[in-house]
Amino acid sequence: MALQDLILALHRFWAGQGCYLAQTYDVEVGAGTMTPDTFFRVLGPRPWRVGYVQPSRRPDDGRYGENPNRVQKHLQYQVIMKPSPADIQDVYVRSLRSLGIALEDHDLRFDEDNWESPTIGAWGVGWQVLLDGLEISQFTYFQQCGGIDLAPVPVEITYGLERLEMFLEQKDDIYDLDWSADVSYRDLRLREEREFSEYNFAAASVAMLRQAFNASHKEATRLIARDLLLPAYDMCLKCSHNFNLLDSRGAISVTERVKMISQIRSLVNDIARRYTGGKDGA
Amino acid sequence: MEFLLELLTEELPASHIRSALEQIEAGLRQELLAARIDIASLKTLATPRRLVAAGDLAEGQEDREELVTGPPLSIAKGPDGALTAAGKGFARSQGVDESRLEAVRTAKGEYLGFRRKAQGTPTSDILAAAVPRILGSLSFPKMMRWAESPFRFSRPIHGLLCVFGGRAVATTFGGFRASDETVGHRIVSPGAIKAADFAAYRAALEKSFVVVDPADRKKMILAQIDAALAPLEARAYPDEALLDDLTLNVEHPLVVFGAFPEGYLGLPLEVLATAMREGQKLFSVVRDEKQLPYFLGVADAVVDAKGLIRRGNERVLRARLADARFFWDQDRKVPLADRANGLKTVLFQEKLGSYEDKTLRLKKIAGYLCDKLAAAEVKAAAVEAASLCKADLLTEMVKEFSGLQGRMGGLYAREEGLPADVHRAIYEHYQPGSLEDDSPASPAGAILSLADKMDSIVGAIGVGLQVSGSSDPFGLRRNAHGVCKVVLDRKLRFSFPLLIDRILAAYGDRLTLGRAEVKAACLDFFAGRLRFILEKKGYRYDLVSAALGPGFDQIVDAQARVEALDALKSSPQFEPFILMAKRINNILKGLPAAKVNPDLFVEKVERELYSTLSIVSSNAQPMIARGDFARAQGILFKLQPVLNTFFDKVLVMAEDKKTRQNRLGLLQSIAKMLLGIADYSQIVVEGERTAKPKA
Repeated sequence: MALQDLILALHRFWAGQGCYLAQTYDVEVGAGTMTPDTFFRVLGPRPWRVGYVQPSRRPDDGRYGENPNRVQKHLQYQVIMKPSPADIQDVYVRSLRSLGIALEDHDLRFDEDNWESPTIGAWGVGWQVLLDGLEISQFTYFQQCGGIDLAPVPVEITYGLERLEMFLEQKDDIYDLDWSADVSYRDLRLREEREFSEYNFAAASVAMLRQAFNASHKEATRLIARDLLLPAYDMCLKCSHNFNLLDSRGAISVTERVKMISQIRSLVNDIARRYTGGKDGA
Repeated sequence: MEFLLELLTEELPASHIRSALEQIEAGLRQELLAARIDIASLKTLATPRRLVAAGDLAEGQEDREELVTGPPLSIAKGPDGALTAAGKGFARSQGVDESRLEAVRTAKGEYLGFRRKAQGTPTSDILAAAVPRILGSLSFPKMMRWAESPFRFSRPIHGLLCVFGGRAVATTFGGFRASDETVGHRIVSPGAIKAADFAAYRAALEKSFVVVDPADRKKMILAQIDAALAPLEARAYPDEALLDDLTLNVEHPLVVFGAFPEGYLGLPLEVLATAMREGQKLFSVVRDEKQLPYFLGVADAVVDAKGLIRRGNERVLRARLADARFFWDQDRKVPLADRANGLKTVLFQEKLGSYEDKTLRLKKIAGYLCDKLAAAEVKAAAVEAASLCKADLLTEMVKEFSGLQGRMGGLYAREEGLPADVHRAIYEHYQPGSLEDDSPASPAGAILSLADKMDSIVGAIGVGLQVSGSSDPFGLRRNAHGVCKVVLDRKLRFSFPLLIDRILAAYGDRLTLGRAEVKAACLDFFAGRLRFILEKKGYRYDLVSAALGPGFDQIVDAQARVEALDALKSSPQFEPFILMAKRINNILKGLPAAKVNPDLFVEKVERELYSTLSIVSSNAQPMIARGDFARAQGILFKLQPVLNTFFDKVLVMAEDKKTRQNRLGLLQSIAKMLLGIADYSQIVVEGERTAKPKA
């Protein structure tokens, strides 16, 4: 099964569970959790089921294409089920079986791992899912997002697509994966990894990134005041990505780090409060 | 009758399971005791998905006789002794035959009443009420909600099995009605299982590939490890904590034996062991204390016939070891001294600044300690180690495996060719991690360990991070235990309050609280930790109080004092001496200081006491200063006979004011010298109740 077949299989499986299949979001994010299809939809009482592929950028994880496991951009398959179904663990297990994995021959473990993202004021309780010692998913009961207690509680399942594919293809090097019958991960991604690693660690202009961070921050503040919450949230995502780039350039001091994260979080929390009809944020 | 309880959940963290089992057992014992239900046996068991209690309980409460009282006898019976209308009415309303009525004497007078048998409540009813209470009050370090459930628990709940005497107890918890059913292993045998008692439950689960008793699972793991390693004549590197966690992570343990390429044996052992343990939870394999290129994992599975689990784990481990080797090669390209420049971007604590700030303080504190400990020969090494010891926080290896901090820095320093004193000090400076852990073996390592821990403690207390109950976010207790252990193990003599002053000075104006306040809070905190440590070593609490009474300018003196008291406590001179010391304290209580003037002595015994005191004092003082409290105490015993005579012959509270003041002054000099050894008033002695001071 090639990587694109894995994506198709997950799409088919989760569509069968009543998920709407969203398109990949077109702003850089560090995790599938951060796109509006998760962030806004987990807030409030309305039930929601969604599945989508989201490229996730972690500039600091770049290895110039030389590490067989680590890349500065990887793919997540993100599922949100709200409220969390009582049999969600069994459903998840069935999703693995639907990929042709005979679980009786393997060791599947739900290993304590609590997730949090201080930037978007979110945290949850759950596990990392290990298959024969390999982490293939994060499984989280979302407790809070944008600083707001979530009710009903959604469950978030995030498959690391490259990891899972390496398991399925029994390969040791990410670049050896087949994307399709005749396109490899190497063809598609190696040059990108090399160039972006150089960009993330050395070439990116710190001055430009700082300007961009400040401009997006200012814009978000202005948009919040006009109650344009979705555009304002996009601006927060841009802040977050620029922050990550500044970080991988080694340009952020201790006090700055704390300050910048809390700057983004307070905007995001404000957006979440207004979105749910709460009072204006401080 | 047999009782069986199983709460079926999603996978619980091992630490939550341990705590839940303790709470469940305590809760059941308490509820059953309060309900007067006899417990013949009760035990708790668990798997990652099941919290289980099983036991043998009485069928119900014992029947009891109870007394029902009615109207006062004066109203209920006429003068002739026959029942009045009121008396007859009482019998009728209670449905009791008049012949069973009797006079009942109470505090308020005589009443008409009768005795009846009260039937005991059946245990199943008691359990029906108690079980939801107990399960509902379980607390976990981190609780969660799920779906639309109003409950908070460690992880979502999936079912409740609760049977007593073979029948389901009529109760509910977490939205589940108790039944006699559960399910088997999630992957291998997930079907329903019925169980009316523990034996059936255990057997049915076993058939469904769930071993419910952690002790059984542990035995299985150990036996399988032995079987795997016997041909190699090797053994798994012992790791009890890992074994206990794994036992609680699986329902059906299967030990998987795998190998990694021998080339990775070139990595330091610390790195190999950490790469295996963290994340994958693998045991490393050793023969004659040398690492072999194998590992042991514990899977939750029945068989690995196709070797897929082994190969999967081998692949993951190879990737981790490849990473580790990459880090090891990359990290060594940058000298620690260059790397340390980046510490300004690493946060130590929000209010306390960066690790660069901390490094600058550590150099000063380590230098100071070397001066005070007359350790000039390691001063250069200790200060250099201080300047480099935090640099490994910026290495890729420590970013990946944070548990290797310190040790990694030491290894890199060794690879750089830095002197042994320096790289050993860096390697050891996080030691000891607990009271059971070893102190640093090198003098510079011990000094750096002290400096690092004391800096953290003073800083944290200085910005108001307090330890309270079970919450200790900054690890202050662990750090304080480390400090005490290093000082006591190496018998380091230095003034503890002055060290705090030096650290406060190094912090400058960074702390939010005033220096005097911080210093007092630190001393108070350490007094508490020393008490804990000394009592843990088995010293009597009152001897510990006495030893801590004089304060602790020197931490080692606190232990030396309690050792001296402990050694002498069975000496025949000890008890009379304590009583004498207490007598002196009682006489002096609340009185102002007075001076001794030898010319004002009236009695011969006063002069004798004075001269004995001078001799004893001049002999004992140097010993006290050295911390040799046992010998000093031995000398102090010599005061006893002359003090006895003194109290027999002399009235301290003499009529004449001058004589009285002079005698009090003499006793005060004695009390002051005694307090140099211990606060004797804290010690509890047998004879205390009978002996009362005469003066």
